[in-house]
Amino acid sequence: MRNNNLLVIRNLITLSIVLCATYVNGQSIMPVLPEIKPPLPSLYPSGTNSLLTPSANQPSSNDNNYQRRQNQQIMNEVDKNEKLREQTMQSVQSDIEELRSTIYYDLPSLSKMPGSKYYRDVFDQMLNIDINNYSVKDVNFQIENAYFENQIDKEEFDSTIKQTADFILAKMKERNFDTNSNTAKNFMLFEFFTQPMQVKGFKQKHFPIKYDFEDYWGRDNWAKMFVTKLLKTNTGQCHSMPLLYLILAEAINAEAYLALSPNHSYIKFQDEKDKWYNLELTNGMLTVSSFILNNGYITAEAMQNKIYMQNLTKQQMLSQFYTDLATGYIHKFGYDEFVEKVINKALELYPTSINANMVKANYNEARLKYVIKQLGINTQTQDGRNKILNYPKAIEILQQMQSQYKIVDDLGFQLMPADAYEKWLGSLKETKNKEESEKLAKQFKGTIIKFKN
Amino acid sequence: MTKNTFLLLLLLFSNLYAISQNKEKLFEESYNLLSSMTADESSYNFKKAVFSVENAYLDGNLDTTFIYKQINLMHVLSNSIINSKKLDYAERDKDVVNKRASIFSILCDTLPLSIDGKIYKYEPFGYDFNDVFGHNAPENLFVSKLVKTHKGNCHSLPYLYKILCEEIGIEANLALAPNHIYIKHRSIKDGWYNTELTSRMFPIDAWIMASGFVHVDAITNGVYMKALNNKESIALVLVDLANNYNSKFPDNDGMFILKCTETAIKNYPNFATALILRAETHYKQIEKNEDKIQRDLLFEELQKEYEHIHQMGYRNMPEDMYFNWLVSLKEERSKYENKKLNTFNKN
Repeated sequence: MRNNNLLVIRNLITLSIVLCATYVNGQSIMPVLPEIKPPLPSLYPSGTNSLLTPSANQPSSNDNNYQRRQNQQIMNEVDKNEKLREQTMQSVQSDIEELRSTIYYDLPSLSKMPGSKYYRDVFDQMLNIDINNYSVKDVNFQIENAYFENQIDKEEFDSTIKQTADFILAKMKERNFDTNSNTAKNFMLFEFFTQPMQVKGFKQKHFPIKYDFEDYWGRDNWAKMFVTKLLKTNTGQCHSMPLLYLILAEAINAEAYLALSPNHSYIKFQDEKDKWYNLELTNGMLTVSSFILNNGYITAEAMQNKIYMQNLTKQQMLSQFYTDLATGYIHKFGYDEFVEKVINKALELYPTSINANMVKANYNEARLKYVIKQLGINTQTQDGRNKILNYPKAIEILQQMQSQYKIVDDLGFQLMPADAYEKWLGSLKETKNKEESEKLAKQFKGTIIKFKN
Repeated sequence: MTKNTFLLLLLLFSNLYAISQNKEKLFEESYNLLSSMTADESSYNFKKAVFSVENAYLDGNLDTTFIYKQINLMHVLSNSIINSKKLDYAERDKDVVNKRASIFSILCDTLPLSIDGKIYKYEPFGYDFNDVFGHNAPENLFVSKLVKTHKGNCHSLPYLYKILCEEIGIEANLALAPNHIYIKHRSIKDGWYNTELTSRMFPIDAWIMASGFVHVDAITNGVYMKALNNKESIALVLVDLANNYNSKFPDNDGMFILKCTETAIKNYPNFATALILRAETHYKQIEKNEDKIQRDLLFEELQKEYEHIHQMGYRNMPEDMYFNWLVSLKEERSKYENKKLNTFNKN
């Protein structure tokens, strides 16, 4: 479509380059752009007027046909020219806009910000991880440590985990539990989170890990969601508690999985009879599926797409860690191309991950906002929004954002507001749920005693 | 004399035989129609599909002229509703959403109608608590019965809703819950939302999920709560056809039932009702089998069928439980109402 207009455009480009140059040279006279008007054929060429409306008094059919054909030809010509003019105007307009000033379509890199290097290093190291065989403890530590710019002592962390694992194993032996039974190990882990615990030969007494209501989304202090914070304060939330559980499970060789629900994560494991249990560590209870479904923000589509309540595989868990890395970076520095790189990796490992897809949608939105601000587009009015039509590259970014939001929608995502989340979590303490939890705990315990010795 | 009687009897029997064959022919024709709709999407027509099944059961006596006229009337009514009231909804798909609202109004609202200057009261469609599973008579589930009497159930109401939607040129997805059918729509503003015609409201998914009667796997596998596409909807109608056939010819050899269920399952693999009906039919056939070795083998096969149904997450929901659950929606309205849809909800 451009070929026809090439000449006009080329002229204009040289013109606008000159204009830009004067602008850059610091001459502050705002150049007035010439109005572009390619020769416009008049709609009714003189002399053809009478042909357009064949008079009824002239029934000569031959003449009539000829006239009609000619009219048609003229009309076609007019249409063609009109289209041509519009196309020229459009492409010219966008060329001018693009050349008027440099628009950055990519977010500025934050790599120069102090500390962002640590995140990039962790990302590079994570790329070399064996997807099916990696240490949850080590990956998570690296991510938390990047936030603290590698200031935490790995050895100290490792030894805390080791001691805790030994403590739990010792307790199992003291209670005469089968240390090879997955159910028994998970039972002990669950007790460790929820009950006070003492073992002969160990000096310190362990207290149950409490839920920290303050800033549980880490909005003010990102480190509130860290396992290292949990170990220091013996309080945690729905991110750090399940993670510590998985780290300890890894240390005592127990099998347990992370599972997601809206704004939330919890632990799932299977007993020797293949029965699945849900462990809600934030209030130390066992839950049934209907409790989780009852939060009101899980749609049937979300279930069909398996974005919630599934035990994450090792590979999906790694994807989740990439998402953690990305969100930590965003919280500390903001959005740039590094976020996209990390989140694309997360999506490669787990294409339907709701968390990774959300981060990507937010990233696309941040990018669009950045471009729109530069273009001075007012998104409040329709006229303002239409202005984006002059910038093909910006439209592309807008479409990327829209298609990413569509992916999130198609997955069945629904936003759960904070107060609904708190209310739902609080409802666990209702009598009905308490009774259910106690019933499950009995079953749970019942399975173990059989495996004793 | 005896010869004459014999001839007469023969004549009589052959006549009866011919009638019964004729009746069966209608079922065959209906099956062919439905199966062609699943094979060729362009021939799909839900209205035709449903009424061909009802007509087969009624031995070809369905008054389609009357029914189609009534449906046309509702089409006209829908147009005037669309013109007279608009929802507070501004997204790009507002035309479609307004059309949906008009169909909902026709089924659920009492409307003042002005005909030749006189005001009439339009009565909506009501719920008929009598024989909601069609145990006494399959006709109780029929859309034609609903159109005639303005009383229906969770089978005929959503069917009619879908038919009317397609009449006015929009889509509607049927969706299943235990012993239940409802409507799913998607809009730009609110995503997927449910339309529940028996209690005339828009419940959130938790209404079914948290009922305690639905296994998580059944939702994950799309046994329930899936927005059914056109082929899957025809699968539903195929099972209706099979059930009607069973009720009409209780001593049939099962071949027609198997044909219907196979085609239904081909188009909707996790369709629990079809899988169960197929298994039950297999069971009946096995019982009649004289060969013990063969019977044992077939039983093993049958066990696998039932295992598969269980694994999909299907659990049987007793019928009285269904009633309590249906009523619970009205009682716990505030808990399960979709609060996002304030443009629709009215109390």
